[in-house]
Amino acid sequence: MTEEILQSDGAFAVEETPAAPTPVSKKRKSKLDRQENIVAFLFILLPIIGFCVFTIGAMAFSFIYSFQDYNMLTGESSPAGLKNYTDLFTHIIYSKNFLQSIGNTLILLISTPLSMMLGLGLAGLLRLGNIKGAKIFQVLYYLPAVSSAVAMNIVWRYIFNNEFGIINQILGVKINWLSDETLIKIAIIFKNSLNGMGGAMIMYLAGMLNIPKDYYEAADIDGAGKFRQFISITFPLITPMTFYLLITGIIGGLQSYADADVFAAGNQGAQTIVYFIWNRGINQSRYGLASAASVLLAIVIMAITLVQFKLSNKWVYEE
Amino acid sequence: MEEILLEQPEQPINADKKKGGTASVGKIALRVFTYVILVLGAAILVFPYLWMLLTSFKDDYEAMSLTLVLFPTDVWHVENYKKIWTIVPLMRGVLNTLTVEVSVIVIGTFVSTLAAFSFAKLKLRAKTFWLLFLMSGMMVPYAALMMPQFRAFYALKMFDTLWPLILPGFFGNISMMFFLIQYMKGISNSFFEAAKLDGAGYMTMFLTIMFPMVKTAIAAQVIFWFIGIWNDYFAPAIYLKSDESMTLQPMMARINSNNSGGTNLPLIMAGAVLSSIPMMVIYITCQKFFIESLAISGVKG
Repeated sequence: MTEEILQSDGAFAVEETPAAPTPVSKKRKSKLDRQENIVAFLFILLPIIGFCVFTIGAMAFSFIYSFQDYNMLTGESSPAGLKNYTDLFTHIIYSKNFLQSIGNTLILLISTPLSMMLGLGLAGLLRLGNIKGAKIFQVLYYLPAVSSAVAMNIVWRYIFNNEFGIINQILGVKINWLSDETLIKIAIIFKNSLNGMGGAMIMYLAGMLNIPKDYYEAADIDGAGKFRQFISITFPLITPMTFYLLITGIIGGLQSYADADVFAAGNQGAQTIVYFIWNRGINQSRYGLASAASVLLAIVIMAITLVQFKLSNKWVYEE
Repeated sequence: MEEILLEQPEQPINADKKKGGTASVGKIALRVFTYVILVLGAAILVFPYLWMLLTSFKDDYEAMSLTLVLFPTDVWHVENYKKIWTIVPLMRGVLNTLTVEVSVIVIGTFVSTLAAFSFAKLKLRAKTFWLLFLMSGMMVPYAALMMPQFRAFYALKMFDTLWPLILPGFFGNISMMFFLIQYMKGISNSFFEAAKLDGAGYMTMFLTIMFPMVKTAIAAQVIFWFIGIWNDYFAPAIYLKSDESMTLQPMMARINSNNSGGTNLPLIMAGAVLSSIPMMVIYITCQKFFIESLAISGVKG
C-alpha cells in the first residue's frame, strides 16, 4: 500500500491541456509551479512540525537522557556514559527487574500465534461450512478489539479472582491466578488469545475468499483431499495475512502496558518492558535508566518494522 | 482500489457436484459442527460483557459471594447506575474525554486531510522524501517518546491538564493521512484541472472539490480515531492526576484499584458498562466499516 503511494506521482498539471507552448506561457507555467510547490508544502507543514517536535525531538531527547544521570534532589542531569545501559543488565536490583520484564513480554507474545491459530481454524470452518449468519459471528468475534482495555481488564480481573471469581467457582478450586507469577501469565495469554482471534478470523476469511476457485477445482480433479488442498493451496496463499498478523501482533505485544497495570495490578510476573519504563521513568523519576530501556525497545521495534518492509515483497506470496 | 471479496461466493468450494444439489450427510455434519464451534466461541467471548452487565445489577454480597450467583437474587439493583455518578465524577470524566475528542478530531482531521490532498494531488518537490519522513514516525514506539514529552509538558505546567493529550493531535494523524492519500489518488485530476483553469485557489479546491468527495472516507477514519481516543489509557494515566482533569479510562482504572478488595464491584461494573455503551453503539451501527477495513488491510498489506 505504501509502495503504491510512493511510486505513482499523483501531481496533476495544467500542461496536459492543449495550450500553445509559447515562451511566455512556459515562463508563466514555471511561476505557477513554484507557487503550487509552496502551497503544497504549506499544506503538509503542520504534520512535519508535529513530527519534528513530538517524534524526532522526543526521540533525540530519549537518546540524550539515556546517557545522563538525573538527580532527583537537585533536578539536574550529569553525564553518565553507558552506565544506564550497563545498569539494565548488571545492576543488582534493576537488572533482575529489567530482564524479568523482557522475559514476561516475550512469554506473553505467545498469545499472538495462539490467536492466529484460533482465527485460522474459525475462518476455515466458516469457509467450508458456508453457514448463514457468518457476518454476525464476525461482528461478535471482533468486539473485544474495539472495547476499552481498561473495562475489559477490570471484568477479566473479576472473572479470574481467586476467591469469588467465576473461573475458580466453576472449576471448584482456589487457584491464585492473579497473585502467582506464572499463573498470571497464563491468564493473560488466555484472555488475549481470545480477544485477538476475531481479527485473525476476519483477515484469514477475507484471504481465503480471495483465492480463485479454479485452484481448488484443479486440485479436486487431481484427486487431492481437503487437507492436502489446505496445505498446498490455502496456506501458501494466505501468507500475507499470516505475516501481517504476526508482525502487528509482535509490535503491539512489545508495547503492552494495560495488562500489566490494570489486569495484573503490578504483579511482578506480568510486568512488561513498557511497564518497566513507566515504573522506573515516570513513577520513580529514574529518567536515565528508563530512557536507556526505551531506546533499546525502539531499536528492536524499528528493526522489526524495517524487516517487515523489506520482506513483505519478497517472502510473501503476491499476485 | 481493486475489488476485494468479503462475502461468500454463491458456490461454496465444497459444493456438492454429484447429484442435483442434494446435500450430503457429511456436508450437513460439517455445518452443524461449524455452528457448534462458532456459537461456543461466541458464548465465551460475550461472557465477560454479560458478566459485567449482570454484576452491575447485584449488591456487594452477591458479587463477592463464595458460591456462584449468576443472576441478582431478590432485586435487580438498578440504583447502581445512579450511584456511580455520585461516587466518582463520571460526568466530569465524560466531559473531559469529549473535550479531547472534539478538539483533536476537528483540528487533526482538517490538518491530516489537507496534507493528504497536497500529497495526492499537488506538485510538491521531494514528495517521496517527505512521505517517507512522516511514515518513519509510525515505527517509533510511544514508550520511547513518553519521557521527554512528559518532562516537557511538566516544565510547561501542563501536567494534570488535558493539553498533553490535545496538543499532539493538532498536528494531524499520520495513519489517517496515509489512508486518505490512497483514497484521494482514485479521484480524477480533471476536476482540479478545471478548477485551476477557472483560477480557483488551492484551499478553495480542497474545501469545495476534494473535501465533499472524500467525506465518507474521512468519516470512517474519524470513527476509528474517536474510538481510539475514547479507549486511550496509557497517556491519560501518565498525565492526569486530579479528578477534575481525569478522562474516563484512567478514572475507571483508578476506582478499580482503589477498591481492589472487591468492594463496590457492582458499581465499578456499572461504570464499565456505561463507559462501554457509546463505543458498542458506534461499533454495531458501523460494523461494516470495521470488518471491511480490517479485511482489506490484511489482503492489501
